[in-house]
Parts: sequence; structure tokens; C-alpha cells
Amino acid sequence: MRYRRPGLDAISHILLILALLAFSLPVWLAIIAATHDQSSLYTGTAPLWFGDQGLDNFRAILSEPVARLGTDVARLLFNSTVMALGIACGKIFIAILAAYAIVFFRFPLRRLCFWLIFITLMLPVEVRIMPTYKIAADLNLLNSYAGLILPLIASATATFLFRQFYMTVPPELLEAARVDGAGPWRFLRDILLPLSKTNIAALFVIMFLYGWNQYLWPLLITTESDYMTIVVSLKRMLSSADNLVPWQAVMATALLAMLPPVAVIVLMQRYFVKGLVDAEK
Amino acid sequence: MATLSLDALSKTYPNGVTALHGVDLTIDDGELIVVVGPSGCGKSTLLRMLAGLESISSGELAIDGRRVNDLEPAERDIAMVFQNYALYPHMSVADNMGYALKNQGVPRAERRRKVEETARLIGLEDLLDRRPKQLSGGQRQRVAMGRAIVREPKVFLFDEPLSNLDAKLRVQMRIEIRRLQKRLGVTAVYVTHDQVEAMTLADRLVVMNGGHIEQVGTPMHLYDQPASRFVASFIGSPSMNFIEARHADGVLTLPCGTHLPLRDGASTESGDAVCLGVRPEHLVQVGQGDDTTLTTQVELVEPLGADTLAHVRLDGQAELLVARLNGAQQIAEGDRLYLRPDPERLHLFDPQEGHSLAAPETVS
Repeated sequence: MRYRRPGLDAISHILLILALLAFSLPVWLAIIAATHDQSSLYTGTAPLWFGDQGLDNFRAILSEPVARLGTDVARLLFNSTVMALGIACGKIFIAILAAYAIVFFRFPLRRLCFWLIFITLMLPVEVRIMPTYKIAADLNLLNSYAGLILPLIASATATFLFRQFYMTVPPELLEAARVDGAGPWRFLRDILLPLSKTNIAALFVIMFLYGWNQYLWPLLITTESDYMTIVVSLKRMLSSADNLVPWQAVMATALLAMLPPVAVIVLMQRYFVKGLVDAEK
Repeated sequence: MATLSLDALSKTYPNGVTALHGVDLTIDDGELIVVVGPSGCGKSTLLRMLAGLESISSGELAIDGRRVNDLEPAERDIAMVFQNYALYPHMSVADNMGYALKNQGVPRAERRRKVEETARLIGLEDLLDRRPKQLSGGQRQRVAMGRAIVREPKVFLFDEPLSNLDAKLRVQMRIEIRRLQKRLGVTAVYVTHDQVEAMTLADRLVVMNGGHIEQVGTPMHLYDQPASRFVASFIGSPSMNFIEARHADGVLTLPCGTHLPLRDGASTESGDAVCLGVRPEHLVQVGQGDDTTLTTQVELVEPLGADTLAHVRLDGQAELLVARLNGAQQIAEGDRLYLRPDPERLHLFDPQEGHSLAAPETVS
């Protein structure tokens, strides 16, 4: 129900603008802080307008090793991107195949397999962190991209989502494809994947954010700065025992850390909403 | 173009339900066979077994003399038109039609040529770039047909292809299917529950009931000489009327007292109870009642234009009979109506088993 009342419109706009201001203030402060030098951030009052550093702080953290990290932020961004992409793509790849097997093939213990996958929903990384770490260590996965990605890749959520979608695909479509001479792989590639495009896009966004924001696991498994992710490093930049925290660098790093997820959401927003709202068939 | 032979084809599901009990049938080259029956009679199962979408529990299925029991659908060289068309929603009409050819490894140029040729044949040439979503029901039906035609298969299989169309379009598509099938000369098996569709399309009709074939024959043969009460009631619209009667010395006596002469050769003994079948169109209205007419009262009138259907109650009987009368006839509810069953067109059935008791020589 939509009311057509100018007064109501004005009020809702004011509320929205206030909320927008409230939400964007921290971001604004971060942008401002990233353009000051360290000394002007320790004067006791937080600056509200751009400082004189311009983009120098960004240039510095991207090209030179940052103190206490031993590597530059460009490398951290790269590591995080590799991990987030690996997790997102890997999860989608595995979930598609798992759901495909569960929905379209008849094999013994099919239901058991599904429920076993489903049960892992109750076992997030935090719960199984000790055994997972042990396995990763035994397999020599510490300080490697594989170690960052593989333990997080199996996904009951994504499998479940694809299963639900596949179950809405009319069985006649499979039969028509069989009559048309499409084997299981062809059916998956030519029919099922094109139909699940929006689902894949939506899941990609969610899983990319999930991967990007991982903290506990990367913290545990990476000790070398070459494999550190940006989210973990951000926290390390703050933990200073003796020195002053270089807030201008921290803020610049935080802003850079925000960019890839924002870019992914902006670019894929159209598919994302479509994938969650309607199943196009 | 092919012959099909079904030898004791049976289907038993893993849960023990038997959907098909040993079906035997030989289908000639270029023939259009319509399989008709009520829902759950096994007709769709039969078609899906022909297609290879359903496994064959026992029996032999051969296309052109080659056993195909264990072949995948694509290897049987058949094409199927589905009830809801089953078009690939993300593909254009041209891609939908060419998908089977693509899977066969037909080169792109030849594929395009064949698709365009078929599109011209069925009037789809302007729609080749559309998606199924952008088409009307009739157009989708056409695409589904085109998808089957373009492959030049040995056998067409139709699974109630017209049931999602409106009545007018259905008649139109029915004629078109018939014309195309004749023109292409492809053997076809067509499943439907609509007996009008079945009668008008079929070279030969297969009437199924409870997983058995009740009767096979040309539509007119089935209409004139139904082998069982089930076939008699299924073929023809409105359905045949059935009246319990008793046979005594060559004369049938109806509960209302009407006497009808029994035709020679009926396999019934004097004193037997029989079930008399009379089609609505074989009840002739007469002006005066005598002992060869049925005295009835009109309960409901359905004017169809050329004909008028009168639902009448036989005196002293609970069940209604239907009579097809001339449309020019003025009748109203409550009228008395004297109807004389055409003695040449009477059908006799066993009251328990339902099989026909007609004289053997007439069942040719």
C-alpha cells in the first residue's frame, strides 16, 4: 500500500537523509583522516575537512612496506582478493555440483548425503577450528593460498540454495534435453547453468563478502606477511604497544579494504536483487 | 520413418505397482497411432517407455526391427512433443529447435539451414530470434513441433500436446498436426485423453484401460464395433447409453416393458441378463409410443445448434439416457418423448465382464 501524501513524503525523506548522514559520518571521518598527516590527528580535535596530504598517505601504504606488517597494502589487497574470489568461486562450483548430484541423480544414500551436507551448517569454522587447523598443518597448508581458501570452501548454504532452485526446474526440461541428446554434462552446461545465472550472481556477492571479511581463520593460518589478508592486518596496525597508532595509514587502509566489496556489490547489484527476489524461469 | 513393434511390454514400478500389463502392438510405417484412455490407464507410461524416459520392466521394444530396450532416448532416433512444451527458456526459438542437431554435431551452417527450412514449414520464420517467454501458447506449441520435426526422426511421440491450448486453437493445431504428419510421412504415436482428438487424428486408435489395451482399430471400427463396454462408453460423444435387459427367445426385454428384436448371432442364451448399449444418435424420436419404443420424460435440454441433446429419464428408471435429436426439434423440459432405438445399431455387452456379445461375424 502506498499513500500519496506530500507531507508524508517530506517526513520520510527527512528521515532517510538523517539516516544517510548518520551512516556516512564514519566513512566521511575516515576519508578526512586519511588525508592528514599523523601530527594533525593527535591535536585533540578530530578534523572535519580535508588535510594537506592529498593522496600521499594512500601512495605510501600501497608502495612501501607498512610498519609492523612488513609488507605493503597492495600485497594485502591482492591476498584478500585471491582468498575472497577463491572462496566464492570454489563454494559456487562445489555447491552446483553437489546440488546437481542430489537433485538429478538417483543413487543409494542420496538423502543421507543431503542431510550430512545440511548438518554441516551447524559446524562453522569457529566450532571446528582445532581439527581444521590440525589438518591444514598436516597437509602443509599453513601460509598458503590453498590453506586460506580450502577449509572455507564447502558450503551447505550454497548447496541448499542450488538444490531449492534445481527442484523448481520442470522435469520435462530434463526429459526434453535427454531426447535431444544432451548427456548429464551437457544438460548442466547448456540448460541448468544458464538458468541459474542470477542465483550464481547472488551467491557470488554473498560469498565474496563472506570470504573478504574472514578474520579468525586467516589470523590463525598465516604467520608470514606475504599471505596476510587486509582485514587481519588492519587489526594488527592498531595494536601498538609503544608507538602512536598511525591513524592516517589505518584509515587509508580501511578505505581501501572497503573498495572491493563495494565494487562487487555495485557491479552485481542488479543480478543480486533479481536472484534473491525472483527465480526467472 | 519406421515401424514399431511392442511385444508384451510391461512396466512395474519399484514400489510394486504395475502400470502396464504386457502390451502388444505393431505400428506400421507412416501410421499415426492415437493412444487414448482415462487418466491412470498407463498411456503416458507407454509413451515414455517408447521414448526411453521410462525403463522397460519386461517385453521387447523394436524400432525398424532393432531392439531398443536399453538405448538412451537420443539413440532411439525419436522426437517427443511434451504437454507443457518443455522449451528451453533461455534459448531463442532457433536455438531451441537446433539444440538436438547441435548435440549430434551437425555443423552450424547446416543447422541454420535445417532450422530455417523447418520454420518455414510451420510458419515460425519471423519468430526465430524470440525467447519462449515472448511467444503465445500456440506459437510455443509450434516451436515444440518444430523442435521435433527438424531432427527428421524415425518416430514422433506426442504427449497430450494440445491440452494447454484453448478450444479453438486446439482444433486448428489438431488439423495442422495431422497435415504435417501426413506430409512428412513420419510414424507417430499420440497420447491423449480427449476422444474427439483421438477420433479425428488417428489412423488407428488404441484404447487403454487399467494398463491393458482394450481394443485397437480404426476410429470408425471402434465406433461401430466396440469390443467392450469400456470402449463403447469411451468412444463417441456423448457417451453410449446402457440399459439392463433380459434376453428371452430372441427378444430383448427392457425393464420398462419395451421389446426389441435380437440380431442373429449374438452369443447369449435365452434367459441371460445382458447390458444393452445404444448411442445417443441411434435413438430416433417417433410420434407414437408402442412396444418397440422407450417412453421417456425430458429432464434437461442441451441445444448445440445442429443437434439438440436431450437428457431423458426412462419411466421407472433412475438413470438418465441421452438422445441426440435434430436441432430444429422444439423440445422442453418435462416433455414426453418416444424414442425408438435403431435395431440395426444395438450393442450387447456382458453385464459382468463388459465384453461385447455381438455376433462374431460382425466383429471383423
